[in-house]
Amino acid sequence: MFYPKLAVTNIRKNRKSYFPYILTCILTIMMFYTMDAICKNKGVYEMRGSDAMIAVLNMASWITGIFAAIFLFYTNSFLIKQRKKEFGVYQVLGMDKRNLMKMLLCETFLTAVVSIGIGLVLGILLGKLFFLILLKMIRFATPLSFAIEGESIVRTLILFGAVFAVTFCFNLLQLRKVDPVDLLHGGNVGEREPKTKWLLTSIGTATIAVGYGIALLTESPLASLENFFFAVILVIIGTYALFTAGSIAFLKLLKRNKNYYYKSNHFATVSGMLYRMKQNAAGLANICIMSTIVLVLISVTVSLYAGMQDILGLRFPMEYHVAVYDPDQERVSQMQQIVEEELEREQAQVEEKEELVSLYLVGTVSGNTVSVSDGMMNLGGTHSIVVTTLDCYNFMEDKNETLAEGEILLCPAKGEMQGNTVTIGDSNFHVKKYLDSIKMETYEDSAVTPNVYVVVSDQNELYKIADKYAFNGQGSIVYHQYFNPKGEKDACTAAMNAIYERGAEIDGTYFEWRENSEEEFYQLYGGFLFIGVFVGFLFLMGTILIIYYKQISEGLDDRACFQIMSKVGMSRKEVKKTIHSQVLTVFFLPLGVAVVHVAVAFKVLTKLMAMLNLTNVPLEAACTVGTVAVFSIFYVIVFLLTSKEYYRIVK
Amino acid sequence: MERYNKRNTTRYGGQQVQALSDVTFSVEPKEYVAIMGESGSGKTTLLNILAALDKPTSGKVCLKGRDLGDIKDKEMAAFRRQNLGFVFQDFNLLDTFSLEDNIYLPLVLAGKKYAEMNSRLQPIAEQLGITHLLKKYPYEVSGGQKQRVAVARALITKPQMILADEPTGALDSRTADDLMELFTDINRNGQTILMVTHSVRAASSANRVLFIKDGEVFHQIYRGNLSNEEMYQKIADVLTVLTTGGDH
Repeated sequence: MFYPKLAVTNIRKNRKSYFPYILTCILTIMMFYTMDAICKNKGVYEMRGSDAMIAVLNMASWITGIFAAIFLFYTNSFLIKQRKKEFGVYQVLGMDKRNLMKMLLCETFLTAVVSIGIGLVLGILLGKLFFLILLKMIRFATPLSFAIEGESIVRTLILFGAVFAVTFCFNLLQLRKVDPVDLLHGGNVGEREPKTKWLLTSIGTATIAVGYGIALLTESPLASLENFFFAVILVIIGTYALFTAGSIAFLKLLKRNKNYYYKSNHFATVSGMLYRMKQNAAGLANICIMSTIVLVLISVTVSLYAGMQDILGLRFPMEYHVAVYDPDQERVSQMQQIVEEELEREQAQVEEKEELVSLYLVGTVSGNTVSVSDGMMNLGGTHSIVVTTLDCYNFMEDKNETLAEGEILLCPAKGEMQGNTVTIGDSNFHVKKYLDSIKMETYEDSAVTPNVYVVVSDQNELYKIADKYAFNGQGSIVYHQYFNPKGEKDACTAAMNAIYERGAEIDGTYFEWRENSEEEFYQLYGGFLFIGVFVGFLFLMGTILIIYYKQISEGLDDRACFQIMSKVGMSRKEVKKTIHSQVLTVFFLPLGVAVVHVAVAFKVLTKLMAMLNLTNVPLEAACTVGTVAVFSIFYVIVFLLTSKEYYRIVK
Repeated sequence: MERYNKRNTTRYGGQQVQALSDVTFSVEPKEYVAIMGESGSGKTTLLNILAALDKPTSGKVCLKGRDLGDIKDKEMAAFRRQNLGFVFQDFNLLDTFSLEDNIYLPLVLAGKKYAEMNSRLQPIAEQLGITHLLKKYPYEVSGGQKQRVAVARALITKPQMILADEPTGALDSRTADDLMELFTDINRNGQTILMVTHSVRAASSANRVLFIKDGEVFHQIYRGNLSNEEMYQKIADVLTVLTTGGDH
């Protein structure tokens, strides 16, 4: 009974650092279990269109697992370092390494049992709550039961059992490496002043500059998707480099400026910060990157969720949308017939209807020449070329334009093309009129690439262009019909289901309606939001814990320093001011940098969201600002709580 | 003129203990005084009160006629910085500063210009033989060298008095002797020094030795024309009487 008792005493003695650790273990285990159990839930599996959500949830549970493992490992190594001296004392008092090993084993076992036990119980209890929240977010009406998932329990046990086993082995290695004398002296060896690493600083500056440059200069959303990941990697590298080397280089420059450095309010701060950055730069960079991820994740998912109606509005100018690809008269009239018949059967009518035939090409624009490319969407510079007929245009716009053969109406992308003659492919056209806007624009996913709209005189002209490109896979002709039905809602839904089924029998048709898509969208984006908030919360927790430990360990380090300062003639007020400015800098630097990162990324994020049909920039800005504000509030609360502890230690 | 009068001082440490009572003495300018006593005799309390780190419950401490008790808390740090120099047993150098910056610390706090600080440092560093060490860090030099740096830090403010608390406590006997020689030199240059110690050897370099027992001044001896060795003998004799409980 000796070792378990000793283990309990030790954990209680170190409760300042152990309780937050155990709490984090519990919360992480709870979250992992919940996420995993939701993935395994039978009801979710049977939900229509839940595949995407399950895939995302699955990924998120993996992320949670990996993050949990890394994070618990990191925290543990911090705890053990703090306790080195304690182990030294035990060894001096006559415990050999075997005894210490047994003691550590008991401690780890105890921590593991308590965290996994409570974590699972909470997971099972709160899992239901999370599940209900998820269902609410995805607007799922049918109640699903949240059962205890045996498989998830086993997975949780295996994963976290393994994590604790690994931390135990790590701790043993730590013990093995040192002898009691070293242990006793622990961290008392004078630390060397950090050296300036100019190379790393320049690399950091360069990567950040390039990353920011990409984020700010990329115009095309398609290009931005690929560039974004590249930029993210560059910025992560840059953040680490600048936090570790850049901060020190900067402080050294300050120090070299004697008139600045030898001032009472800079003296202690600059040299204190030098050592603080040396020890904490990596941790601070971690906090910064984690905060950035939390902010991006949550603001994007919140924006998408909040902008759902916008997204639907953009995608569905009218309630129903029928498309026939490479249309011929037969299939189009077949489709129209189906629509009419089914609506009639349910005693519903078409209230509004728009039809259009258009040819979609992909190409590039230079000057007044549009070159058609081979159908692959290249990154950057790619334009969508939409060709439609005068009939369609007049019908949709309710106009009476006329065009002679070889004449066109042109609605180019903003700021491009002018003059009377343009070349499309290898034919020249005379532009009769430039259009500022065209109604069709709202029916197309105009956000992804710049669009050029061409109105030709008749179908023959359209097919002339199409013959050259569309039939060797370089473009496609699509017949679109948009309409709003009039009639009882249930009747319409029934009609739509019938149309959907019958339409599927005709080749090359596509049919979608708002109500149905709304359901799918809410599942997808609601699931995203849930996971965004979930993972965001996980990262936030990690951030808080790192900050807490930082404050405690620094408080211990700084105490001696400030005692000496007050002995040499620094007043209490000056000491407090110096501490305050250092703590404040260390604490808010990561948040500040994270906010800058997010601000720079915002433009790319709006473009990426545009690809998901969300183009409401003010809404996105509001969501981002809101997320940053809420996050900052959490951050400040943590700061206030932990700095209290810090001051208590330093005094 | 520096003069210290003190009566009935107490120290709190959970329980109220009267550490000093009825201690009255004065230190003349340019004097070198050592205060001796066993652990628990009240030495540290006395030094803390002299340094205005603690306040006496009654009685007062005057420096050049100014009562330390009259100085406001806000000005206390500045007063200490301007008038007193400290040398501690464990050096109290900051690991994060180079030795040079450690010495500058009190001047920086006092808001002095770099040029002035530098010109003050040069002669002192020369005198203490640490010029070649200035760019190094505390962890790179020996204990004796650290203590020299601490002395330089105490001297650079041109204080009225240097208060030394067991300055040889962490040093081996040879380095301790060197340091005491240094103190004698500094004192010859006109620096007032008050040193608390329980090392007879260290105390024997002083011009006057005060003995404290049970919170009271038990005895004092002047050097007169005695050599260090003779002084050592005399102090040892007094200590024998002190420990065997002789009455004065």
